[in-house]
Amino acid sequence: MEKPEKLIENGMRLDGRMPDELRPLRIEAGILERADGSAYVELGANKVLAAVYGPREMHPRHHQQPDTAVLRCRYNMAPFSVEERKRPGPDRRSVEISKVTREALEPVLFLELYPRSVIDVFIEVLQADAGTRTAGINAAAVALADAGVPMRDMVSSVAVGKIDDTIVLDLTKDEDNWGTTDMPIAMVPRKKLITLLQMDGHFTKEEFGQALDLAFKGCEQIYEKQRQALREKYAIKQEK
Amino acid sequence: MLYVQNRELVVPGQLIAEGGYRVHEGAFIEGKQVYASVVGLADLRGHDIRIIPLQGRYIPKPGDVVIGVVVDSYSSGWILDMNSPYTGNLFVSDLLQRKVDLVREDISQYLSIGDVVIAKVRDVDERMRVQLETGEPGMGRVEKGKLVEISPAKVPRVIGKKGSMLNTLQDVGECKLMVGQNGRIMILGKNPRMINAVVEALLMIEREAHISGLTDRVHLMLEKIKSEGGE
Amino acid sequence: MYEIVSSVRRDYIADLARQDKRIDTRTMDQFREVSVEVGPIKSAQGSALVKIGKTQVIAGIKMEHAEPFPDKPDSGMLVVNAELLPLASPTFEPGRPDENAIELARVVDRGIRESNAIDLDKLVIKSGEDVWAVFIDIYVLDHDGNLIDASALAAMAALLNTEPPEDEAWTLPEFPIQKRPVTVTVAKINNKLMVDPCLEEEGVMEARISIATIEDGSICAIQKGGIGWFSLEELEQVYELAKVEGAELRAKLG
Repeated sequence: MEKPEKLIENGMRLDGRMPDELRPLRIEAGILERADGSAYVELGANKVLAAVYGPREMHPRHHQQPDTAVLRCRYNMAPFSVEERKRPGPDRRSVEISKVTREALEPVLFLELYPRSVIDVFIEVLQADAGTRTAGINAAAVALADAGVPMRDMVSSVAVGKIDDTIVLDLTKDEDNWGTTDMPIAMVPRKKLITLLQMDGHFTKEEFGQALDLAFKGCEQIYEKQRQALREKYAIKQEK
Repeated sequence: MLYVQNRELVVPGQLIAEGGYRVHEGAFIEGKQVYASVVGLADLRGHDIRIIPLQGRYIPKPGDVVIGVVVDSYSSGWILDMNSPYTGNLFVSDLLQRKVDLVREDISQYLSIGDVVIAKVRDVDERMRVQLETGEPGMGRVEKGKLVEISPAKVPRVIGKKGSMLNTLQDVGECKLMVGQNGRIMILGKNPRMINAVVEALLMIEREAHISGLTDRVHLMLEKIKSEGGE
Repeated sequence: MYEIVSSVRRDYIADLARQDKRIDTRTMDQFREVSVEVGPIKSAQGSALVKIGKTQVIAGIKMEHAEPFPDKPDSGMLVVNAELLPLASPTFEPGRPDENAIELARVVDRGIRESNAIDLDKLVIKSGEDVWAVFIDIYVLDHDGNLIDASALAAMAALLNTEPPEDEAWTLPEFPIQKRPVTVTVAKINNKLMVDPCLEEEGVMEARISIATIEDGSICAIQKGGIGWFSLEELEQVYELAKVEGAELRAKLG
């Protein structure tokens, strides 16, 4: 596809959204049987699954921490999740995303309650359309709560960016490709503490401030959906 | 100042109360506020706040009765899997409740890998190393029965207030149940249909632990299967 | 990491088998509930999510240009890959496919390739230089036993759902499927045969055998697994089960 002349016209983006609008978001908790906790997130065309195993015994022994649990995170994309088939297995991008995802989630977990154990988080991207790491973090946070891992709060994540000089929320793949700036963020919504922040592109100081404001607003909406997903799992069903 | 009602479903990060409260499991204090740390039901009694978790792994504590599976052995004892991040250690002297001369006795005659054992948690140290013992009646190796595993968080519901649910399961279900705090339950009974009915009841409890009126529903369900009998 | 089935559980399952009974009250020739959802993944040319009981497997089809094998210049390519995702079971570890993942992929591949389910000869763009490669990626999401049948069914359903790629080099009217192989796995416990073993039954079984059949009942692939054995009489029984249950699974493909 060729770059469209305008990515945003009269305040409307290519997919019809306003600059401060999230893509349609759906979150479901507890959809896998074997995993201790799990969640499924659809963010626009992204389809992401997260599963949590743990706390569980940590092997090998010498990786155990005597006074705390260890958090391990694996972000992975299915070969059929992207336009051109991706060869199975971790690539450098996945390894980096796994690391920043772990660092986004770890601050809220009460890991010291489970010495010598490990908590494994697995994120699988089944279908990708930019923002997979943010969808992954949203799913992982719900999966951790679903597994009963004690946490101070959810972690909510969204990307902000700049297209045609306008700051926008939650970029699609086209916007990411043709825009100038992409900034994924994750935060603890209650206290607005940022646990993931990456950026490539260009922002003036003012633009950076605007982008953060927009990100907070987006995360608040996502936070509500995450909590709702957990409540819905236990909603009393009418039919008996 | 309380922000939720008793038995209300709460999620992590949710504000429970503000002021001078004592918190127990499932909640934490930040400044003057009390927040939930897990998905669960708020349990509010006077100045005490706890959140009863609806999910979570089993973490051993002294005094718990558990059902373990032998996964390894060594010269003077065995390691048991307890459906927990932590394994349990059982010395042969704690299994037999007597001193054992390891030179004379071959301990492999007492337990093999794969054996099911009902035991009590005697001690847990700060590194979460667990010591088990089998001193009380009914404990030790299990010969036969149906072993079921449910989420450990739902075990209190299987027992019920003052044992009401457990009594219902055993009386109407015509079975004897041995319940481990670690989510494992042994069912002993003569009637296979009723044993399966009790398994169904346990799965129902696991699914609906957070909904009230469960004991009655389980009672009804077991009565129905019993009367459909004809054996 | 491995899962231990306690001796009490093992004895219980073996005892039930002796009476022709199973732990979840199924009959010996009964599959768990099977559901097939086609097309959940739009980034793939074809996809399907299959559930057999609580087991869940998703298959995605991607097509790419490729150089044909030197000894098969006029034939498209079929590549089947399977991942036992660590999501799906506490015993699956991240990393390269282990022997179980590789066996799973090769068994599914055999059923499709040996039956000529895909007319690979039609997938040639330029003889000896450029052909279509069909990649089937099988992703196991939730493991409650019988990954082989679920994966084979997901792969076939995904193939039937496949739209040609948006590429000028594609000249066929549709994706060329000519057969519908279906795999049925039979487990042996205490000398009794039962189809569609669930996870606990797999932990106890002596051996299993998977048979892929096509519409007319002929066999296109077989795989025996596990350290037990099968007698000739048992093989006859297994074939009958594979044919009858296979037809029922095939009906789910629509």
